[in-house]
Amino acid sequence: MKFTFTFIFFSILIFCNAQNATEIVKRMDDNMRGKSSQAELLIRTVRPNWTREMSVKTWMKGPNFAMILILSPAKEKGIVFLKRKKEVWNWIPALERTIKLPPSMMTNSWMGTDFTNDDLVKEASAVEDYTHAILKDTVIAQSPCYLIEFLPKLNTAVVWGKLIVAIDKQYFIERYTAFYDEAGKLINIMLADELKIMDGRFIPTHMQMIPIEKNGHKTELYYKSIFFNKTIEDAFFTTDKVKQLN
Amino acid sequence: MFVLTLAWKNLWRNRMRSLITIAAIFFAVLLSVLTSSLKTGIFDNLIKNVVGFYTGYIQIHQNGYWNDQLLDNAFELSPTLEEKIRTNKHIAYYAPRLAAFALASSGETTKGCIVIGIDPEAENIITALASRMVQGKYIKAGEPGILIAEGLLKRTKLKLNDTLVFIGQGFHGSMAAGKYPIKGVVHFGSPDLNEKVVYMPIGSAQEMYGAEGRATSFVLALNSTENLNQIANTMSKNLGKDYEVMTWEQMLPDIKQHIGGDTQNMLYVQAVLYLLISFGIFGTLLMMMAERKFELGMLLAIGMKKTKLSILLLTESILTVILGCILGILTSIPLVYYYYKRPIRITGEAAKAYEQFGFEAIFPTSLHYSNFISQSVIVLIIGLLLSLYPVFIVYKLDPVNAMKK
Repeated sequence: MKFTFTFIFFSILIFCNAQNATEIVKRMDDNMRGKSSQAELLIRTVRPNWTREMSVKTWMKGPNFAMILILSPAKEKGIVFLKRKKEVWNWIPALERTIKLPPSMMTNSWMGTDFTNDDLVKEASAVEDYTHAILKDTVIAQSPCYLIEFLPKLNTAVVWGKLIVAIDKQYFIERYTAFYDEAGKLINIMLADELKIMDGRFIPTHMQMIPIEKNGHKTELYYKSIFFNKTIEDAFFTTDKVKQLN
Repeated sequence: MFVLTLAWKNLWRNRMRSLITIAAIFFAVLLSVLTSSLKTGIFDNLIKNVVGFYTGYIQIHQNGYWNDQLLDNAFELSPTLEEKIRTNKHIAYYAPRLAAFALASSGETTKGCIVIGIDPEAENIITALASRMVQGKYIKAGEPGILIAEGLLKRTKLKLNDTLVFIGQGFHGSMAAGKYPIKGVVHFGSPDLNEKVVYMPIGSAQEMYGAEGRATSFVLALNSTENLNQIANTMSKNLGKDYEVMTWEQMLPDIKQHIGGDTQNMLYVQAVLYLLISFGIFGTLLMMMAERKFELGMLLAIGMKKTKLSILLLTESILTVILGCILGILTSIPLVYYYYKRPIRITGEAAKAYEQFGFEAIFPTSLHYSNFISQSVIVLIIGLLLSLYPVFIVYKLDPVNAMKK
């Protein structure tokens, strides 16, 4: 009797905790993504012997739609990546063609950065595709954070085995993410800093993706501007629209 | 001088016997020269095929490229580098290449391929690329267009003058994309290359891959392929640490090993051949000594010294062996030349196997003088060693017993 009671008590506690963790993640996701967003970014790929910069413009709406237009360098100007649900399309002006990225290319690097094509597609499912649990509290750059463990739900096509994410307690922004593979090995670390107010929100404007095993490799994102919750029609995210962007 | 005249006379006293001995030596020289020059010829042809095919005798890369064949390891085509290559007196021709992976796509089908940017003219001089054409026209520098391998063309289901689309990763992570008309079709024996290779002018490749002014390798053709390693070493010192200079032996260690293994096998074959030759010559000597036992015994009996007699017999042997050798060489020269010009052609299944690996199914001979000299010297030594046998017999000879019938 006493055992049953304790069991129920703890179950409720764990359930609440889980609920709580998912709440936190959801708030973070809403905060950093909004219903829709438009942004201009600078992407810097850093390698031991060279670095390369790209500037891009992005449109995102909900978890299903995203578009990335490359503005520079000149050689790649006009290349567009379109994400519709789980598909990624690529418009290449030099070919005058739209290519659907095949599943085999999903794990390839995206434009030579440390992001994979898969990252473009899967990134949005942070809330739905994982179960969340608060591990402990922590402090990152003097601000208190929750340390939350993300475990992929069954039947979801998630490439990672586990994520550990630090979410700022005050502003609900992602400060740190560690990506583990299925064997529990640390693969990538993502850091977010340079918090600024953009379009009325306090968000990190500099992110770094650092692969652990590759010395001297990293990819940095700088937000030049971002606007949240501007209305974008669903029809904007179509392969026809892609050709008219330039 | 007296011995020499006597030996010469002795030689022609019994013409048949001498001719048989000379013939034994003659065939020995002929056979071993032929095997040896065939062996060298086959390997030279193999090397020429493999090397002329793709790698060239020597290649220059940015240091580390060969172990990590990425576009990011391409080097800058600087005038100083080219100057150093051009002024090297061992180098006959050189050609830059920019090779990288790409996906070739046409309609529904997409296939991985290796795009090789070349200087069409220089490449043709070094690897005779134009001779591999089966359809269409050879590409020209500055003109957009590609040469595609036959097997790959079949896979893409395209025809001559259709457009093939390429997409891949370019220099420093940029995106490589381009579309080019198919100007010509080339055929490669090796199925691996035949399903993979696309050639385009290096300018187009540099543009597509975003690697302007860069190349992944310099392919060199040499004036003479002897002292290959020495030439590579001095070049390497001259170019400095930023570049690696590699000979075909380093780039294709498996071929090198194959040749090494086959050379070993050929040595056994040659050893058996020498053994046969030795017995052939020995047989004639044995017979000669049996026939001349009485004569030699009599010479000793009437007072000829054993030393003098030995020298006489030795001189006879030397004359026979040298005569046989000279005749052998003289006959082998036109024979080897004939098989050099009209190499032995292999047919049937074996030929197919050879062609699959991209080798011509022919066994040519080599005209290199070292084959003639080394083989006749070997036979000469065998002959001279064997002519010690008569000397040995003479020293053992007892005139009384020898003259008993």
